[in-house]
Amino acid sequence: MHNGAVVNRSADVAHMALTAVGVDQPGIVAALTGALEELGCNLEDSTMSILRGHFAVLLVIEVPAGVGAEAVESALASVATALDLVVSVRPMRDVHPDPDRGPADPARSGEVYAFSIHGADHPGIVHRAARVLAEAGGNVLDLSTRLVGSSDRPVYVLHLTVGFPPGSDAGAAADAVRDALAELGVQSHAHPVEIDVL
Amino acid sequence: MPVRPVLTLPAPVLVAPAQPVGVVDRRARELAADLVDTMRVSPGCVGLAAPQIGVGLRAFVVDVTGHRKARSCHGVFVLFDPVVERASDPSAAREGCMSVPDLTGDVVRASRVVVSGLDPDGERRTFEVDAFEARAVLHEVDHLDGLLFLDRVAGPHAVFPRKVYR
Repeated sequence: MHNGAVVNRSADVAHMALTAVGVDQPGIVAALTGALEELGCNLEDSTMSILRGHFAVLLVIEVPAGVGAEAVESALASVATALDLVVSVRPMRDVHPDPDRGPADPARSGEVYAFSIHGADHPGIVHRAARVLAEAGGNVLDLSTRLVGSSDRPVYVLHLTVGFPPGSDAGAAADAVRDALAELGVQSHAHPVEIDVL
Repeated sequence: MPVRPVLTLPAPVLVAPAQPVGVVDRRARELAADLVDTMRVSPGCVGLAAPQIGVGLRAFVVDVTGHRKARSCHGVFVLFDPVVERASDPSAAREGCMSVPDLTGDVVRASRVVVSGLDPDGERRTFEVDAFEARAVLHEVDHLDGLLFLDRVAGPHAVFPRKVYR
């Protein structure tokens, strides 16, 4: 944006999920966002990161009325070919926040925990942790994993942020995750996330 | 007008360096009163800087009275033209800000701080603050330099949604 122009968010648009993955190289973000801007799309929330040498894009875009997912994919086709990216665009159902329905805001009424989990790599680490958390009513808000170490001694590192609804026992859930992973020889540390509003 | 609206991003005054007050006159004292009054009516608010109420002057109020994480506590104090004389013992915590209502961020700040400035009587005052009070002072001083907690985080993975459920 320039000349102080601001984006006008109108209701007459669609949201789409764009994913793109390819071997990392400089210029991927510039090329993708250039093609999207030309099409009149706005970038909203995104995460983009290098995962084992591949640049992975997960992006919510606002698409002008009348432009379909296929049209967005077509507009990105030359970029995808040039940079050897696998690109997919899918329409998203718009979620309208309704304060009277769904879980409350744990920043006020529930608890958020940060988990740090690491140990020798072993099948099922993520699933064990996630299953115990789901059973406790926990909602995964953010998750990131890294497989590091050497090929003969691989190490798994997992970080999770989990929201618990009001009334649930977040501390007990954290203990349950710790116990479930201890069976695999994997450590789990959890602490409540406190926000200081200044 | 004692209580003023708290501005949020992208208000230009929040990202511009504030101007020195220089002499604490009647208008500066009115500004101090407005900062205190606006802080008082804002739930959970422990500090406010003049740019947050639309005034591009170097002034802030802090009050960490009763806060669980406070160690030093000087009650309500307003400083004009504050200078951080010393800052040491960095520690990390997740901060939110009334001017950035949708996000929080992990910010490393000094936990032992000496700050000086002029009080509403125009007297030079020096405060030794630590822990939560130190974090609050440094957060407010940043506002006077046009800096938000967003400008202090280590990277993209240190910024989080404030409301995690919709």
